[in-house]
Amino acid sequence: MFSIKRISAVMCAGALALSLGACSSKETASTSKKEEGTGYPTKAISVVAPSGAGGGWDLTARSFTKVLSETKLVKQPLTVENKPGGGGAVFMAEYATQQVENNDMLFVNSPPIIINNLKKEGNSPYGYKNTTPLAQLTKDYGAIVVKTDSKFKDLKSVLEEVKKDSTKLTFAGGSAPGSMDHLVSILPAFKYGVDPTKIKYVSYDGGGEAITALLGGNADVIGTDASSVKEFLKAGKVRVLAITSAERLSGDFKDVPTAKEQGVEAEFTIWRGVFGPEKMSAEAKAYWEKAIDKLVQSPEWKKEVETQGWELEYKNGADFKKFLADQETQVQQLLEALGMQK
Amino acid sequence: MNTLDYLLHGFGTALIWYNLLFAFVGVLIGTAVGVLPGIGPMSGVALLIPVTASITGGLPPEQAATSAIILLAGVYYGAMYGGSTTSILLNTPGESSSVVTTLDGYQMAKKGRAGSALSIAAIGSFVAGIVTLIALIALAKPLSDLALKFGPAEYFSLMLLGLGAVSGLAGKSVTKALIMTVSGLLLATIGIDNVSGIGRFTFDIPWLYQGIEFLTIAVGLFALGEVFKTILEKEEEDTQMAKINNLLPSKEELKESAGPIARGSILGFFIGILPGAGATLASFFSYILEKKISKDPSKFGKGAIAGVAAPESANNAASGGAMIPLLTLGIPGSGTTAILMGALMMYNVQPGPLLFEDHPQVAWGLIASMFIGNIMLLILNLPLVKVFAKIIQTPKQYLIPIIIAISIFGVYAVQVSVNDLLLLVGCGLVGYFLNKHDYPIAPLVLGLVLGPMIENNLRRALTISNGDFGPFFTRPISLGFLIMTVLWLVIPVIMKMRGKSVVINEEA
Repeated sequence: MFSIKRISAVMCAGALALSLGACSSKETASTSKKEEGTGYPTKAISVVAPSGAGGGWDLTARSFTKVLSETKLVKQPLTVENKPGGGGAVFMAEYATQQVENNDMLFVNSPPIIINNLKKEGNSPYGYKNTTPLAQLTKDYGAIVVKTDSKFKDLKSVLEEVKKDSTKLTFAGGSAPGSMDHLVSILPAFKYGVDPTKIKYVSYDGGGEAITALLGGNADVIGTDASSVKEFLKAGKVRVLAITSAERLSGDFKDVPTAKEQGVEAEFTIWRGVFGPEKMSAEAKAYWEKAIDKLVQSPEWKKEVETQGWELEYKNGADFKKFLADQETQVQQLLEALGMQK
Repeated sequence: MNTLDYLLHGFGTALIWYNLLFAFVGVLIGTAVGVLPGIGPMSGVALLIPVTASITGGLPPEQAATSAIILLAGVYYGAMYGGSTTSILLNTPGESSSVVTTLDGYQMAKKGRAGSALSIAAIGSFVAGIVTLIALIALAKPLSDLALKFGPAEYFSLMLLGLGAVSGLAGKSVTKALIMTVSGLLLATIGIDNVSGIGRFTFDIPWLYQGIEFLTIAVGLFALGEVFKTILEKEEEDTQMAKINNLLPSKEELKESAGPIARGSILGFFIGILPGAGATLASFFSYILEKKISKDPSKFGKGAIAGVAAPESANNAASGGAMIPLLTLGIPGSGTTAILMGALMMYNVQPGPLLFEDHPQVAWGLIASMFIGNIMLLILNLPLVKVFAKIIQTPKQYLIPIIIAISIFGVYAVQVSVNDLLLLVGCGLVGYFLNKHDYPIAPLVLGLVLGPMIENNLRRALTISNGDFGPFFTRPISLGFLIMTVLWLVIPVIMKMRGKSVVINEEA
């Protein structure tokens, strides 16, 4: 027994020494590479939207890649990939393990990256700490939306109905319970004094499918982000009952009151940002921070953000990381209040 | 302006010389994308977006958008034409929507009818393309409303009908078909659940989080299964494979295919409209339908031309149908249409309910160019039949390595994972033994596609109704599907009990 233990201890030590040796040699290799510069990026870049098509992440990823290639800030071809499932958790599981050093794959995310990491059900073991935050690009707000022919004309009437009998109304959103669409859907009701666990919420594969469900009468109310319902609002297909911003928005949403205006203290900002892999090389990180910094200054980007109905809010990598830490505390408090924390 | 004026304007746009060129380049690349496994229509379109952006850079924005979308849409439906080629010749489906074509297409090729099979696939695709375009123009508005009526309850009942129809894919034994179906449904539960976000059967292995990839299983079971069979059983039937009797379908074959093409086109179009259902289901459903209504179902699986004509028409029709929710509502019904939507947005053309009003040139130019593109594809594909059909004359010792290489390349290009390659080889071995013992493979593959759709929609519907099963029976469309499911299953049994001599799959 003793001898076996000793042998295994020696072997362990040997293995450790070997792996350390391997590590250090790798490090030296990469530093020497860095000095020379690898000319990053040398390959096509994919920007992943970890959802189905048509939702907020998808739109952000597409605008981001579009303007970057239009302004020739990035010369390599940029493509958007959709990787739906589990409110982004499916993609994160792959990204934080198999793509951890893949400098050519970025992704777009928003509060769910924090929410999924903190919530109990459907927990994603990987959060923003398993990535390299590159920049916050935009802010958007939650919207409570009904069909144009709905009997509900304002937020209060919906909330009263839910308070009376929560089984009568179906809320829907593009992602799983405990995720952002869910939080946006139930936040006003929760602030209004309704038990959030009683609200009927149906999750679809992405915001596009949720809007389909609303237009087809298979959902009474959807909680989603303001920008993705803009075209439907303009076409007169939907009515937006409330926006979860602190102040009323401009443009197409200028006639839509905030939740706060209607006496419901529900505020929720949907920030969107770009992330790289956790072990992104310093060269790649510097490249992207510089490219994005130039991007947000460009008139093309400002115009794109305006077309999409978002609001520009840029934070660089360092600021963004700090902001995410604050967000984490805030979301944790919210989830605890809802009884959904891990 | 009425619809006809708009359409004529559209043709005016589509017939500008450079738009004709764009359409031609699009369908040419599309055909190549379809033939090569691994590069599906989705990645093909995505890869070309930056290229088209730079080509169309010199044009005014609205025209640039039109030209770009003409090219990209050409790739999309061109790929639907080309997808059948490897299915028929090598039993290796390049796209998931041509999996079902292998069942009869490969058998036809084995019998020296590769030319007929390839031509009928092209002709069927062409007819389907034209039929769906006419339907798109005439019915886009009412049909987009119909698609919206499809809630979780309707989806569930439709998928149930598909599952009930699985007996249509059975070989000699219904029991074996059911075993395979259930295996498919079970495999489909692996991965992180989309409704709750909870991992099932993943054992914390990240590779399993995404679930089992459909294409890996299909290529493994079909293509590599055949490879293992050839290697292990050392069949000496080379001479049988080498003959190619004719390149174009005979008169009887055309007559036999007319019905399947028409039904496949209509069915495929309607399934294509539904977001999420798509070309794969369309091809399966149309195949099953043909087998069910055929006078001689025993011919299916042994090289029935209807078994090629119907699914190939259906998958092309579905790609046309999928344009309806995209153009009228701005809702992409499939991965590829989502990419097309992204391409439009790159030119500041926002797909949505207002597309036809705000950008009539883009919308109608695209529709008109699809007419032209389909004609180009037919002219392009028929001569290619002669070239492709030669592949099958390759001696086995060369053909087998080619199939293995294409399978591995195709799966790796999609999944970029060595685990998937191991799964592929494993599926090949399993496929061989299943084949040897008469377990049909198609039901397993169908179960894998239908599983998540049935489950998620069942759960959504029950959440909406507070756990009440009523809506499945009270909503007319859903009820209609359920009645069809019951009839589908019960009628053959009753007829058999009455002693009528109907063709029914006998128990082994």
